[in-house]
Amino acid sequence: MTKTSGLTRRATMALGASFAAVPALGLPGSAHAAAIAPVRGGKMIYGRYADSLFLDPVLTDANVDIWVMNNLYDTLLSPTDDGLGLQPGLATKWALSDAGKTITLTLRPDVKFANGTPMQASDVKWSLDRCRNPKNGPWPDLVASIDSVEIASPTSVVLKLKHADPSLLAALATFNTGIMPQALFEAAPGDTDEAKSKVYSLKPIGTGPFLLADWKLGVSMRLVRNPHYWKKGTDGKPLPYLDELEFQIIPDDNTRLLKLKAGELHGTEFVPFSRVKELKADTNLRMELWPSTKVNFLTFNVRPKLTDGSANPLSDVKVRQALNYAVNKDAVIAIVTQGLGIPMTSFMSKTTPLHVGKSDLYKADVAKAKKLLAESSFAKGFEVSCMTVAGNADSTNILTTVQQMWSAIGVKLKIEQLDNPTLTKRYRAGDFSMRVSGWTNDISDPNEITSYFAYFPNIASLHSGWQDKKVDGLFDASQQEVDPVKRASEYKQIQEIYADAAPILFLYETPYPVAFRKNAMGFVQIPLGNNLFEGAFLTK
Amino acid sequence: MFVLARLLPGDPVSAMLGDRATDATVDRLTAQLGLDQSIPVQLLQFLGGAVQGRFGDSIAYHIPVTQLIADRLPATLTLTGLSMVIALVLAVPLAFVAALQADRWPDLIIRGVFQVGLSTPIFYVGLLLLTVFAAWLGLFPVGGYGDTVLEHLWHLFLPALTLAFSFAAVLMRSLRGAILSVLNAEFVDFARAKGIRQRLILFRHVLRNALIATVSLIGLNVGSLLGGAVITESVFAVPGVGRLMVDSIFARDYPVIQALTLALAVLVSLAFLLTDIVQMALDPRVGR
Repeated sequence: MTKTSGLTRRATMALGASFAAVPALGLPGSAHAAAIAPVRGGKMIYGRYADSLFLDPVLTDANVDIWVMNNLYDTLLSPTDDGLGLQPGLATKWALSDAGKTITLTLRPDVKFANGTPMQASDVKWSLDRCRNPKNGPWPDLVASIDSVEIASPTSVVLKLKHADPSLLAALATFNTGIMPQALFEAAPGDTDEAKSKVYSLKPIGTGPFLLADWKLGVSMRLVRNPHYWKKGTDGKPLPYLDELEFQIIPDDNTRLLKLKAGELHGTEFVPFSRVKELKADTNLRMELWPSTKVNFLTFNVRPKLTDGSANPLSDVKVRQALNYAVNKDAVIAIVTQGLGIPMTSFMSKTTPLHVGKSDLYKADVAKAKKLLAESSFAKGFEVSCMTVAGNADSTNILTTVQQMWSAIGVKLKIEQLDNPTLTKRYRAGDFSMRVSGWTNDISDPNEITSYFAYFPNIASLHSGWQDKKVDGLFDASQQEVDPVKRASEYKQIQEIYADAAPILFLYETPYPVAFRKNAMGFVQIPLGNNLFEGAFLTK
Repeated sequence: MFVLARLLPGDPVSAMLGDRATDATVDRLTAQLGLDQSIPVQLLQFLGGAVQGRFGDSIAYHIPVTQLIADRLPATLTLTGLSMVIALVLAVPLAFVAALQADRWPDLIIRGVFQVGLSTPIFYVGLLLLTVFAAWLGLFPVGGYGDTVLEHLWHLFLPALTLAFSFAAVLMRSLRGAILSVLNAEFVDFARAKGIRQRLILFRHVLRNALIATVSLIGLNVGSLLGGAVITESVFAVPGVGRLMVDSIFARDYPVIQALTLALAVLVSLAFLLTDIVQMALDPRVGR
């Protein structure tokens, strides 16, 4: 992988520079933000479809938390805006030694938490120890290779690893390794870590650009400028530009957009694809489509028999390939996303490091699909069902479109609409034929998505039951591979084997659609989904 | 309710952790939430807590259920109260007009309009009102709740109007029927014969008698108003218990579902009690 060497180079280049001023070319928000000098002050109001639930980076498990937490907490490193690399965060430098088994981190001097207390090496050690404790939350696996965290000096921390871990630096840029103030957390009432966390996370304090001033659960969240923030803006003064940032929770898409149009919001997330064209035409607004790691697909159950004991057509690889060839991805993209998606070329998105894919992966070919099906043990065609969450318009559109395409090769699709907990329960139990699925990465590394999609021991390859021993071996090796070239080649092989075996119906990647009033600028959403408001500002 | 919630397929852990949790994570959380216990044991724990006023923490929000509900209840109560007032203000005068002009064009128009109001889905009426009065005319905010009492009322006017539409229709029809039958009653003929002025007859005799049936209708409809609040609260982004209930059911947030059901049941019972008291005041026969 290019990361180990790439990182150090980036790190030395970026030392002491101001990162907000480095616009990544080709990203939607960068052009206007670079052209217009930022204005300081003011309050930005941003409409969200759902509120956060639990603002503790270690114990949370929901995107509604993860995607905004970077406004409150910093990590030691942070992902670049394009999602492909890493840049300094609370650590200004890092060095690998001992064949990759020791990482020495140099901490940024004079960093303060939003309440004014200085961040110390002990806070870093405590935060890392807390997030790697296997009893804490769903994420310790991302940092499982850490054996110990040692304070070498007031400004440096040394991580001793159980084995070399090429993804650990990316993990140090992932939300769950956010640095928290030990003393404040431990002063919270409660006997257990969880009890303390419940109190602490209602009024969290981090080193991030903002401080949570007021939170009305399910209604609004008011963040004020952290006066101690370390990162500098293009004007050389500390970020953020905004004095205040308010999140308003408006679950209904139509209402949220009405509010934006009426000027009651400066921006909003999750614009339905069907409304993008209309908003683009509105001269008061600016539509931004941020590249994401979102992949949309159908998961197949490939076990030989279904739970009712009947033979499972999807256990035959030729059937799965036929189903893939029978679907015209461009048509699905046109219908479901109004042309805003791009076809998947691998199970991971193009924005995932080490992505390798064929641009014409399963290009629609009905003749080939028919031929593959004829060669399979289900030559006469079959009936199959697909689960989806009831009321989700996109999923229903996908399924009705695919239904027509598959009927052309003699496969009859039955659509099963369920509510989410029911669907998840059946999915987890392997009691399904297919389901509509989506995925975004949480870490700037291919290991998370691969461990879920392709590596059997984790969750049986998305509960599909698909297992390829070679893939499992390649993944195990890649998790300790220090040679970037070798790791890239391992990931290439994994992706190729997976594409051939087709345990999923490859569909499309979609961007994050957000819309802003013309005077609201500088927002960034990175491919992992994180909403960056540190460089946001209001003109006029 | 307790058992019903648990009979729903799926569980809070599945709902919470979504797709990517490993079995180990699922098991750990299940144990943490006490969901690995049998349903009777869970029921006993719930009842034991409930008697002492302890309802536990919300699984999704990680804060005490009582606090969550206390935060959300005022919005819903204001919304339903306001919509009741609006419904009465709309329904009572129009019912009189419709009854006095029975089967003539004002009656037909009033009944026609309310029929449309009754048959249009609430979320559509809501969106229509939002688009016209909030987005185009700018008279009201587009959803939300505001910070002060006056702001709350201002924010809640459109959702209350939305909710009031179908309720007013039911109210108007029943009141119109009641007024018509009272107008034909002997005591009204008698009052007329005594030479009492028409206005006085209408207010003192007709309205009071016609209201008796309507009051019980209002009482019975408190439940459906609360039900309608579920949709209105979502469309207008009102942070009330209706939205909370739906979210909690989807999240299988058992503690919230249980406590909220209990709270709503108490509320509806209180509404019935109040109805009975008002009826007693209006109709002395009821009390005996």
